[in-house]
Amino acid sequence: MKAVKILERMLATIPIMFGVAIIVFFFIRLTPGDPVDIMLGRSAAATQREIEQLRQQFHLDEPLHVQLGYFLGDVLRGNLGYSYIRNKPVVELLTERLPATIEMTIGALLISLIIALPIGILSAVRQNSLLDRVSMAGAFLGISMPGFWLGIILILFFAVRLQVLPAQGRLSYDVHLQEITGMYVLDSLLTGNWRALEDSLKHLLLPSITLGAGVAAIIARVLRSSMLEVLRSDYIKLARAKGASEWGVVMKHALRNALIPTVTVVGLQVGVLLGGNMIVETVFSWPGLGRLVVDAIFNRDFPLIQGAVMIYAITFVLTNLVVDILYTYLNPKITL
Amino acid sequence: MNRIRTIQLGALVLLVALAACAAPTPQIIEKVVEKPVEKIVEKTVVAERTVVVQPTAVPGRDTLVVALARAPSGIDPADHSSREAETVIRNIYDGLVTRDHASGVHMEIAESVKWLDTKTMEIKLRKGVKFHDGSELKADDVIYSFERVFKTNAIEFPQPHTALRKGFLGPFGSADKKDDYTVVVNFTAPWPAGMQMLVHTQIVSKAYVTKVGTKGLIEKPLGTGPFKFVSAKTGFEEVMLERFADYYGGAPTLAPVGKACVSRAVFRVIPENSTRVAALLAGEVDIITEVPAELVGTLQKVPGIQVKTVPGTRPIWMEFNVAQAPFDNPKVRQALNHAVDKDLIIKKVYNGLAKPLAGPLMPANNMADPSLKPYAYDKAKALALLKEAGWAPDASGMLMKDGKPFAFVIDTIDSMRPIAEATATMLRDVGIDASVRVWEYNVVRPKLLARERQAYVGDWGDSTFDPVGHMEAKWHSLVTGSTYGRGNFSGYANKRVDELIKAGETENDPAKRKVLYYEAQKLIYDEAPAIFLILPEAIEAASARVQNWQPASDSRENLHDVCLK
Repeated sequence: MKAVKILERMLATIPIMFGVAIIVFFFIRLTPGDPVDIMLGRSAAATQREIEQLRQQFHLDEPLHVQLGYFLGDVLRGNLGYSYIRNKPVVELLTERLPATIEMTIGALLISLIIALPIGILSAVRQNSLLDRVSMAGAFLGISMPGFWLGIILILFFAVRLQVLPAQGRLSYDVHLQEITGMYVLDSLLTGNWRALEDSLKHLLLPSITLGAGVAAIIARVLRSSMLEVLRSDYIKLARAKGASEWGVVMKHALRNALIPTVTVVGLQVGVLLGGNMIVETVFSWPGLGRLVVDAIFNRDFPLIQGAVMIYAITFVLTNLVVDILYTYLNPKITL
Repeated sequence: MNRIRTIQLGALVLLVALAACAAPTPQIIEKVVEKPVEKIVEKTVVAERTVVVQPTAVPGRDTLVVALARAPSGIDPADHSSREAETVIRNIYDGLVTRDHASGVHMEIAESVKWLDTKTMEIKLRKGVKFHDGSELKADDVIYSFERVFKTNAIEFPQPHTALRKGFLGPFGSADKKDDYTVVVNFTAPWPAGMQMLVHTQIVSKAYVTKVGTKGLIEKPLGTGPFKFVSAKTGFEEVMLERFADYYGGAPTLAPVGKACVSRAVFRVIPENSTRVAALLAGEVDIITEVPAELVGTLQKVPGIQVKTVPGTRPIWMEFNVAQAPFDNPKVRQALNHAVDKDLIIKKVYNGLAKPLAGPLMPANNMADPSLKPYAYDKAKALALLKEAGWAPDASGMLMKDGKPFAFVIDTIDSMRPIAEATATMLRDVGIDASVRVWEYNVVRPKLLARERQAYVGDWGDSTFDPVGHMEAKWHSLVTGSTYGRGNFSGYANKRVDELIKAGETENDPAKRKVLYYEAQKLIYDEAPAIFLILPEAIEAASARVQNWQPASDSRENLHDVCLK
């Protein structure tokens, strides 16, 4: 039954995707700037005839509704078009870059959970203690620190001063790795390449901390407040009254209920992580989707922007679906 | 009590964090790099150059890693439009001729290039120049490379289109094979810039490209250059090259002649300035390009880091919209040239690493008129000229004419914001209400060409060192549908200047060409359609292991010469 419901929900994402596609199509065409102009370079010596030729080639000389027709027709056939600037199919560009972004997002999410869960729980259990105060001040800092600043500080400390972690990139140029999924940590494990595993983990650590710090802070705060609320409820009193251990009360009775709002926030933060990628990828020269999109926007590479935004939208919609499914496990009263 | 202590502690943590926030990045770098250097050896490489050698993070590494600020726009020698692309391409592919920023054009694959008459060029090729697949470069390859660049729709991938480098061949007509080592190029008009422009056309193998196509050539480039292509990561984020063992040695008149010194070379893209600098300090890369001027002082203090500068090729002007009042009056434009203290801008904004401009061409351009001197900073003269144009200060010092204040907006792009702000401040100092608005280049460009804006601070690359492309784009009047005036943002149009520019394009006698271009420059200088601002230097840095490295004005990283200690 649940499987059918999940399938239904997944099918429901199709119209959402089409809506996203159409909105993106029109919005990027509202931004000023001519893709053909940009394609030819800043001071290109091209004649009007050559410019017209390029415009024809990309259907940019046709009315908007005709261009939309071409685009939607292509999308239905699973073809997101050809990047103007990079001379490659958009699907190929996205699949090349997506694994790097997913890897960093997962890294950041793991780091943020590792930091946030113990802090959130402990600061609720020991409310107003020194630990609570310090960790909430830390969370405040985490939220307010801009990603690029934290990234550069981490680089200066760990890469330049201590020279223990690399400042940029995904893998040292002299480490070889056979790519399977494009996620280097996973590929190193799959191929049993321990040198690449160590190297790729080292490269992943600083970007993940930079990206995850803000999210960790938000998760810690949300978890703390929902834990506080749950700890005050009657069934916790009952659990204590019947003599359950404090550890059991907190981890089994309180945490499970406090996780529902936390999971919602984590789901929403995936969107934030995907957005934050653009900055962190630039600071750490991480060749992911974020940098590709930023370049595409500056170059008015319409097909590439459209494709990338659709990927972001799919990821966001699917994450929300996963969150909804998780609800049903955390609280069986909730159904899909 | 406990609670008060907690609050105090929290405040302390916050204070420390805020203090850290307030410290600017350069200071932090300065602090971090105060590391004792174990061993410093002074070694003289060439007579006038002293290099400090320091133990490195990766001793014994024989791979040279170069960090670029942007990814190359392509890797096909016929079809790219960025300087980063040219840097990578010219380490894999050689051209018929090459350029040294100090001594000009040198023969590379060509043994000699001779003008038979004003429209016919004879190119004799060296014998024994090998492509990376071992085949020998011959006349057919040269002709094929020219045709690939010039012919309409010669590039078949991804869709048939004309190469982006076509402009560099000027009025190319045809190329004929005289024998295997001689090519005769027929131009449809005289092409005095031919030699300088030829530097930017690299030679591909006809047999290879016909076999693998453009797609194959992009996936696995194959040239005659000092390095063979090994691999590239998506989007050319990283390009790895290795020494070509059969390299013919390069330009015989440019030392060192021979195979490349390092066994491998890697180009890596690090877009963020601070990260690029940090990667150099951490020993992850050996050479970094585009060092921001404000970090030069800091880097120079670091033992084991060499910082080098070379005059750049991107002059900066503030162009006026000469079709609009008050800038339709040359006196006003001259006055504003006198109102800006270029030396102060150079000192404060560029850390001393720029030169004032004396007119429309940069000094290194081979037709720049050396008799023109930068407009002197002279506030009194500026005010006097403005008075002649009817602008007089009111009680508050603001310039007024017919009851209206002298106010305008300077448009610019983000990278030019500091110089635009500095210029505006100096103009405010003489009573002009100038403000700055920042745009994205591709958005503001059509508005500038439509003469919808008042003034624009921007730069324009001049890496061919010949006035042809530059004068035609920047100072010729706009001719819609052609390449003339495509970068003329002032709307400046002077029939005599147009005539002179056109005549200069086809005049083969260098002395006569000089007369034409000098007259054009003088006219533009006097009529001042722009404030001729400055020419920033190109700044690069390298670790002390890097030997015989010299940044180039046209931003080309020539890795053939570079060695690692």
